[in-house]
Amino acid sequence: MKHRLSRTLSAGTVALALTMTVACGSSSKGSDAAGSTNAPGADALNSGPVTVSFWHAMKGANAEALTALVDKFNTAHSGKITVKPTFQGSYDDTITKYKAAVQAKQTPALVQIYDIGSGFMADSGQTIPAQSFADLDKMDLADIQPAIKGYYSRGGKLQSMPFNSSVPVLYINKTAFAKAGLDPAKPPANLDEIRTAAEKIKSSGAAKFGFGAAIYGWFFEQLTAEAGKTYCNNDNGRTKRADAVTFDDPEQVKVLSWWKGMVDDGLATNTGRKTDDAQAAFKSGTVAMHLESTGALGGYITAAAGKFEVATAPFPKIQASDTGGPIIGGASLWIGREGHSAAEQRASWEFGKFLLEPANAAFWHTKTGYFPITKAALNEDIDKQWVAQKPQFKTAIDQLAATPVGVPTQGCLLGTMPQIRALVENALESVLTSSKDPKAALDEAASQAKALIDKYNSSVK
Amino acid sequence: MGRERLLSLALLLPSLAVFALFLFWPLVRTFRLSTTGQDLFGRANRSVGLANFKAVLHDPEFTRVLGVTAGYVLLTVLPSILLALLLALLLQHPLSGLRVLRSAFAMPFAYSVAAASVVFAALFNPAIGIANYLVTSLGFAPVDWLTKPGTALISIAITTIWMSLGYNMLVLLAGIGGVDEQLYEAARLDGAGTLRIAWSITIPMITPTLFFLVVVDTIHALQSFGQIHLLTRGGPTGHTTTLVYWIYHTAFANGASDYGTGSAQAIVLLVVVIAVTAIQFGVLERKVFYR
Amino acid sequence: MSVVTQSRPARTAGGRASQARPRRRVSAGRVGRVLALLLLAVMVLFPVYYTVVGSVMGPGDIASSPPSLIPHVLTFDNYRGVFHAIPLGRQYFNSTLVAVTITVAQVVCAVLSAYAFVFLAMPFRRAFFALFMLTLMVPWEAIIIPNYLFMAEHQLRNNYLALMLPFLAGGFGTFLLRQSFRSFPVELRDAATLDGAGHARFLLQILLPLSRPALASVAIFVFLSAWNQFFWPLLVTDSPKMQTLQIGLSSLNDAEQANPGLILAGVTMALIPTALLVALGQRFLVRGLTAGAVR
Repeated sequence: MKHRLSRTLSAGTVALALTMTVACGSSSKGSDAAGSTNAPGADALNSGPVTVSFWHAMKGANAEALTALVDKFNTAHSGKITVKPTFQGSYDDTITKYKAAVQAKQTPALVQIYDIGSGFMADSGQTIPAQSFADLDKMDLADIQPAIKGYYSRGGKLQSMPFNSSVPVLYINKTAFAKAGLDPAKPPANLDEIRTAAEKIKSSGAAKFGFGAAIYGWFFEQLTAEAGKTYCNNDNGRTKRADAVTFDDPEQVKVLSWWKGMVDDGLATNTGRKTDDAQAAFKSGTVAMHLESTGALGGYITAAAGKFEVATAPFPKIQASDTGGPIIGGASLWIGREGHSAAEQRASWEFGKFLLEPANAAFWHTKTGYFPITKAALNEDIDKQWVAQKPQFKTAIDQLAATPVGVPTQGCLLGTMPQIRALVENALESVLTSSKDPKAALDEAASQAKALIDKYNSSVK
Repeated sequence: MGRERLLSLALLLPSLAVFALFLFWPLVRTFRLSTTGQDLFGRANRSVGLANFKAVLHDPEFTRVLGVTAGYVLLTVLPSILLALLLALLLQHPLSGLRVLRSAFAMPFAYSVAAASVVFAALFNPAIGIANYLVTSLGFAPVDWLTKPGTALISIAITTIWMSLGYNMLVLLAGIGGVDEQLYEAARLDGAGTLRIAWSITIPMITPTLFFLVVVDTIHALQSFGQIHLLTRGGPTGHTTTLVYWIYHTAFANGASDYGTGSAQAIVLLVVVIAVTAIQFGVLERKVFYR
Repeated sequence: MSVVTQSRPARTAGGRASQARPRRRVSAGRVGRVLALLLLAVMVLFPVYYTVVGSVMGPGDIASSPPSLIPHVLTFDNYRGVFHAIPLGRQYFNSTLVAVTITVAQVVCAVLSAYAFVFLAMPFRRAFFALFMLTLMVPWEAIIIPNYLFMAEHQLRNNYLALMLPFLAGGFGTFLLRQSFRSFPVELRDAATLDGAGHARFLLQILLPLSRPALASVAIFVFLSAWNQFFWPLLVTDSPKMQTLQIGLSSLNDAEQANPGLILAGVTMALIPTALLVALGQRFLVRGLTAGAVR
């Protein structure tokens, strides 16, 4: 036994060495990214029926609403356009799959990509900017919520069709608030006020913890924007491709040190990175204040029924003097160019336009809880009724209306945004769970981000 | 070449074809990829020489990843084998009514990595998990099972130990069953007690089985992925990122497609696995009792 | 012919000699042993208990703080919920199809190559065998990137082929069957040849029927590894309809954190085939897993 196995082992090593010498570098050339970004006109559809393959990441109630909208569109364009939606898994899966599809030259005509994938998609050279179609059609995009339009624009041009959007709010356990002698009508507006409120909640025993939120990089992005600061250079990557993150502001450091202080003093609980775990803590009444997207509202109201009342407040600022606002989150639809006929391109745009129509946008909003994309949608009757039933949503609408449109609230456009978000989560997590200095943690994240961005940018050129 | 020789090669062909396409060629391709840079979609578009290897070796993460990998192997392999050995020794002579226990102890073996991890994720849940309920009922402070750097790896190790316990025990029972009964009789005639028999007869006689388990469990531990992915995603702050998880993190996670650096890391993994196996054969095998 | 059995005595767990020994009286040591076993049993079996019992608990029991250890209300809603959350039936089918195909293919490939190694004259036999053994030394994770790229380039993601192709052959089965074939009595083979049996007849009618234990070992081992795969299916599938049960469990875990009972119901259902295998196939399994080591 011994003898045979050792010989096998050495045979393996020899074969390995052989493979090593055989291996030598030869690489294929990537395809050219540039190309025509001209949008085809409506006449492109005259060449006969066309099918639009549409990849999305919606499931559950969201998928049902999407299917209803697709059916409505297909019926209206019967005999000319058929949109064929296919579910691709999570947002991360979708972008992974999209990359694989580019390799196999099998991209979909229309694809739903999450907010932080926008930088990558804009750089990909695979798509036609939505602006090109809008310009051609002389369509006015002014009705799209400015904050949403801003997020999906680069160089002032709309890159993709905004679709499902959400904003974060501060969730409050109204019952616990009242018990602690706090006024839910005057919710905390910045980090220090959250701390003061948390102290009262804790000392009064109204809840086990005053505050709790997931270690989720999105919140750091939001707070940075609330402070009116940029997240990456070159105007958040909107004027020119960004080549570094801007994490050196004392206010950003304060986010980490504040959070750490809350956890260390027992005012907040750290449930880790999983948003589900943080949500469970709010739903069970363990924490009285909580950061989460408006998308979670429905679930919270159901879970709290009979136990406590859920209230919402505008997403907090870092300090009282901050002048910024929140960034939009969610996903948008990208129209494929490379490998797609003029008819497919045009048909994809028609579907995107259809989704923006007030009745459809309102339908989408009320069925899913996502934010209405256009201002006109808010005036639809079904929308008004829905908001009346869920007054907590009003906070989000008012908050977005009050958001100053500018570079900070557009958010950062970076091709490596998903990985950089993970780096920020690392930084926050290390501060919360060890004695790591907040400033040092952010500096380290920034230098790791720099390496990622440099590598990415060198592969785009 | 004779007919029989041709036939022999023909019979190898199906296996060889699969190996060539999905093992040897990918192995070659891993080495090639490790010297390339990728475009946005992960297509190799330029040669970068050894830059990926330099980046991997100089990455401050690298030392931690090796440390975590080694720590994970140590925390899982020996405890699991020792615990399984204890079980096997206790179970070796079935008592009436306790025979059913043997099948019961083998139950964790029925759990896939995903199944076991998902169950332990629920047990470790910070808000509603039973693990903390039990810990606090015993009067201790709640434990941050998966969210604290010092404990997360231990929690994953506990999951893995539990998962591999059934298999290790079955294998050890088989080994113990193969020990010559006459040796026991002789020892008993000499008046040796249970502990003594276990220590000086059973354990020495099953060293080949123990050695086999050390090798197999080590290789398994070096390749662990599912429990890390499902329990911590390599966190908190990289404190459970092993070599395999590092590859995933570089090449696939968060929409990444850095297959060049990932391949360089994969080669590090290959070297580590082969080196560890070779060392085990070199050092441990000498201490093994062969019949 | 029928008299021939395995040349080695079967090593069943525990050894049967122990049963023949006269019972001893109850001693302190024996009581200690029983107590130790019971204590360990509680520890080891608690997660199993939690899996099954948790799956029939409502959120009021399992997702409350403090959690209950026994259900106050029995509910099967969780089981219904699983089917609503993931296409469990389809994923069951996927896992079964993939694992069975891989098992059959690997056993066939292993029989062919092991036969060639043992019973046929072969040029470069040693080199070929070393090549087969090399496949056991290369960790799959080290070559997972090019394999992933292969599937992406050939549009095989979310395709059964991606889940099966790389595993249709494996070195382990060949190694194990070669061991088993080598212990096949030479006289029997010579007798068969004298009877005029060709390779096909000898293999199918004599060798394989007599190698059933070894074949079963290989089959169970391969089936379990295929059934339990996680990393690879995670990479090459993303549509729930093409995912295997293991990935289904993982997405249940991601999506249903608030309701552990539902996740546990999924786990319980996914456990059924492997639990049966462990209960019924233990003997073959252990032999297969230890072959080459305990000898």
